[in-house]
Amino acid sequence: MPVWHEGTAKWVKDGKLVLLGVTQEQHADRCRLLAQWKGFDWPILHDPINVLEATAVPLLVAIDEHGIVRSTRPALATFQADFLDKTFTDDAKGGRANRITPALKDGERSPDWDALRARAKEVGDAATWRELGDALALWGGDKHLDEALDAYGRAAQLDPKDGPALFRLGVCYRQRSETTGHRPGDFQAAIAAWGRALDLDPNQYIWRRRIQQYGPRLDKPYAFYDWVETAEKDIRVRGEKPLPLAVRPGGAEIAQPLKALPAPPAEARNPDPDGKVHRDKDGLIQAEVTVVPARVRPGQAVRIHVVLRLDPKQQAHWNNEAEPLRLWVEPPAGWQISERLLQAPAVREAVSGEERALDFEIKAPKEAQDKVRLDAFALYNVCDDKGGQCRFLRLDVPIDVRTLPADNPSKAEDKK
Amino acid sequence: MRRIEPFLVMLVVLAAATPSDAVPYEPKVGQRHADFTLPNTATGKPVALSDFRGKKVLLIQFASW
Repeated sequence: MPVWHEGTAKWVKDGKLVLLGVTQEQHADRCRLLAQWKGFDWPILHDPINVLEATAVPLLVAIDEHGIVRSTRPALATFQADFLDKTFTDDAKGGRANRITPALKDGERSPDWDALRARAKEVGDAATWRELGDALALWGGDKHLDEALDAYGRAAQLDPKDGPALFRLGVCYRQRSETTGHRPGDFQAAIAAWGRALDLDPNQYIWRRRIQQYGPRLDKPYAFYDWVETAEKDIRVRGEKPLPLAVRPGGAEIAQPLKALPAPPAEARNPDPDGKVHRDKDGLIQAEVTVVPARVRPGQAVRIHVVLRLDPKQQAHWNNEAEPLRLWVEPPAGWQISERLLQAPAVREAVSGEERALDFEIKAPKEAQDKVRLDAFALYNVCDDKGGQCRFLRLDVPIDVRTLPADNPSKAEDKK
Repeated sequence: MRRIEPFLVMLVVLAAATPSDAVPYEPKVGQRHADFTLPNTATGKPVALSDFRGKKVLLIQFASW
């Protein structure tokens, strides 16, 4: 993009050309930061659900003054002669007459919700439910995510081969997993829906990249968001303040691709080999496990995300004055693990209430089959505000990994 | 077995097909680009491709990863 940004800057300034970006990205703020870093001063639109149906990016289209496509593979060297200096006539030969996105009410930021809801119920097919889901996902914000999930869920149920509905269902699950209204299993449901969509169209790279964003390093084409730190540093050097990010990328999202899983550090020792540490019987902490992708083929790897949260029904907080949170994982025989002992980053404040995410990778042996269970447990210091006690506790976190036959296409599971 | 008339088959196919059931949208040279409206990442306000009718546009789809 920087090449086109710089190469067309004069034409844009002179009013001869409009650059119009569309980002295939869940987080609009990450795109805003990229634009700030690179100095992209043209409008960039947000397409979190791939409603434009791109199968891969980048994708450049030269569109003339009549809205007619003149090139889908423009070259900067010949762009002026082939496109910019030409005067085109309105000679469109067909094309899709309807809009790709839901129509908005005049002068407003929202579609006619009631009309779309009524149409979905009246027509009742996958396409109309998906269209309602699109309107809710694009314009409804977090408060409409539940309804968008319901609409996409109905579309996928009516037509199990509706790949876009499945992909968008996954996007909404992932979005909800990052809100205060998240529910246990949202992230795994996103991965499952994306997996089902990709089974239907393995050539859809926008869908594939969403799984890879959170998946194992062995399956990554590149690090997705390793540029964020550099961008923020460069922006500060310029004397500007980097635009904030609601969800900071970490773990899998910034991990570099690997060709082989390294052996775990040999010095790792089980911190509670005899299981003597008291269990968290009051459930002060809740664990959520997500396996990416949802099933693993023999000889391949999955990335396992473990998120630990304070139970909102309890009154408790992390105690950060003692040793940090640790997660110990016992891999099954023959399975190769990236790390056996994981440790959460230290927190400066003496007490805190944030969620803590730890992730690692495990590679299945070639003879793997069915399901295996990894025995894992977390050790942490937590204070119960009701009783005023701070304790060092253990939470057992069993992790189930399901395998696929080596020669069959992947079959991800629905959310239970 | 009774032969199904080809035009009947065509009608059924046409009735079942909706734009969203079709293959993914792909811009084609010589065709008018389908219109769309999406939120601007900077402002959240809706922007449509058709807002730029009368101007030459380079549409760039990309990802920030």
